[in-house]
Amino acid sequence: MVDEQKNGEVEDAGLSNRIDYEAIDVEDIMTRLRQKIAARPTEKDEPEEGLSSWPDDVPAYAPEPKDPGKTGRVKRLLIKIMRPFTPFIKLLAYPIHRELRDTIEILDQTNKRLDYLYDLQHRHYEELKPKIININLRVNERIDIAFNDINRLKEYTKLLHTMTHNLVVEMTKLKIEEENVKLKTRILEKDFEFLGRKEKALEDELFK
Amino acid sequence: MKVAFVVQRYGLEINGGAELHCRWVAEHMNKHWDVEVLTTRAADYITWKNHYPKGTETINGVTVHRFSVTRPRDPERFGRLQNRLLTEEHRLEDERRWLEEEGPLSPSLIEYIEAHQDEYDYFIFFSYRYYHSYWGIHTIPHKSILVPTAEKDSITVFSLFRDLFRLPRAFVYNSYEERAMIHGIAGNEDIPGDVVGVGTVVPHSFQTEAFLKKHDLEDDYIIYIGRIDENKGCAELFDFFIRMKKKSEVPFKLILCGSSKLKIPVHPDILYLGFVSEEEKFAALNGARALIMPSFYESLSMVTLEAWAMGKPVLANARCDVLQGQCRRSNAGLYYADYNEFTESLHLLLSDSQLCDSLGRNGKTYFQNNYTWDVIEKKYLDIIGSLEQETE
Repeated sequence: MVDEQKNGEVEDAGLSNRIDYEAIDVEDIMTRLRQKIAARPTEKDEPEEGLSSWPDDVPAYAPEPKDPGKTGRVKRLLIKIMRPFTPFIKLLAYPIHRELRDTIEILDQTNKRLDYLYDLQHRHYEELKPKIININLRVNERIDIAFNDINRLKEYTKLLHTMTHNLVVEMTKLKIEEENVKLKTRILEKDFEFLGRKEKALEDELFK
Repeated sequence: MKVAFVVQRYGLEINGGAELHCRWVAEHMNKHWDVEVLTTRAADYITWKNHYPKGTETINGVTVHRFSVTRPRDPERFGRLQNRLLTEEHRLEDERRWLEEEGPLSPSLIEYIEAHQDEYDYFIFFSYRYYHSYWGIHTIPHKSILVPTAEKDSITVFSLFRDLFRLPRAFVYNSYEERAMIHGIAGNEDIPGDVVGVGTVVPHSFQTEAFLKKHDLEDDYIIYIGRIDENKGCAELFDFFIRMKKKSEVPFKLILCGSSKLKIPVHPDILYLGFVSEEEKFAALNGARALIMPSFYESLSMVTLEAWAMGKPVLANARCDVLQGQCRRSNAGLYYADYNEFTESLHLLLSDSQLCDSLGRNGKTYFQNNYTWDVIEKKYLDIIGSLEQETE
């Protein structure tokens, strides 16, 4: 079905030509694929959307200007004339539901912006997720290696410690042995001396 | 010869991992030995809550003794403790507490092993990381054979396991990479062991045409079979696939089969079929261009072996050294370590059917030489045979 895919498959076809189908060597194919990737001009990364500048599609906060109408103009004029009594007139002529409507509009705009920002954040997160997983894996692998090295070093240290301990014990034994040998030598020297004296005494007795 | 298979869960409903591996091996070795299974009453691997009735039953001709789990796992507490142990200096006692928290905590199973050790010639333990293996092997090291089913996991640095790996009489490894990893951890090269794995049986017939018709599949497709989970590399797979689809005009789809723990992106070329029957799975695999295995950690991928048994090539995640090693040894699959390699490898598989056929052929040969049940059974018999000779 897909075998006849044309565009972009020219290079694959080149690679395919070099494959010995009777004696496939996966490592060789992978090496060639990697060489092909390395030889390819590096694609420019897509510019990442920064949060500092708003993309074009962000709904801006812009409440629509409304025509105040005839009543509105009269109300404004009245408000202007009766400025000292503005709060009182506003209360009568500018119904509360109108203020509520304006507030709701503002809230609606804000909601849209928040929705957009949430989507944007989610998108960024989804984009970064594989990278995070990847980095996490690499870090874990390095930690594993480091832990193995540490464990090995610990074992070596233990062995060295045991060896040093054994050496000290052996040296102590040798020292004791040396003292014993010295003592025996002294005893033998004294025996020899005694025998010498005995020999001399016997000689004296014989040649008297 | 009487052999006990000791595993954390056992049952026909349990569909994956070391438990299924154990069941298949136990059922096949039952022809040669008097096999009994010692397991817990748990069915859920997160909480280990008692599910099956206590006592003895027979499953597919194998006697199964079940023992109660005294305390289910509290996943949050366990997670907190594990994080602490992985980041802080700790003692062996802390690791043993971690093991108890991990569970399945079933002291009666260990007591049974201790009390009945003379009735069995050997105990084969599955999954090194659980309570039953650690304390079971410590109870009868001279009769223990361990099938570690270990993958590259941060917990392997725990000194508890380094000591455990020095205890059993023999090892049954799933892959050469697993063996190298365990040797690296414990320096136990002197303990005998062989790379065995697990076999599989391909059904004689499957309705591929009906499957393609049912799902209206006209284009080529690659297939992922297994748990759809971030830990299995599926999030990265979706990302790579969607990015590739944006740039490529090659008409092909990604079919997903298995239970999902991850939100699957809505895309016209991603088709999620959910959990499918064995027949449908093999029909889907047979119709696929290749199997994709995006997992970072695998001790042995059964579905990869099934794909090779069917003569289908595999595209695997190169960051899983087991999968990469199998692809290299078998010469039956390509692998990728990043997006560029993913797209290039996939393009090659989709555009070169002769390559797919050759890879598939190699896969079939590799499977027949290493993973048919005759080969697996012989390897188990040889391991026990050599231990017997050693004893004499």
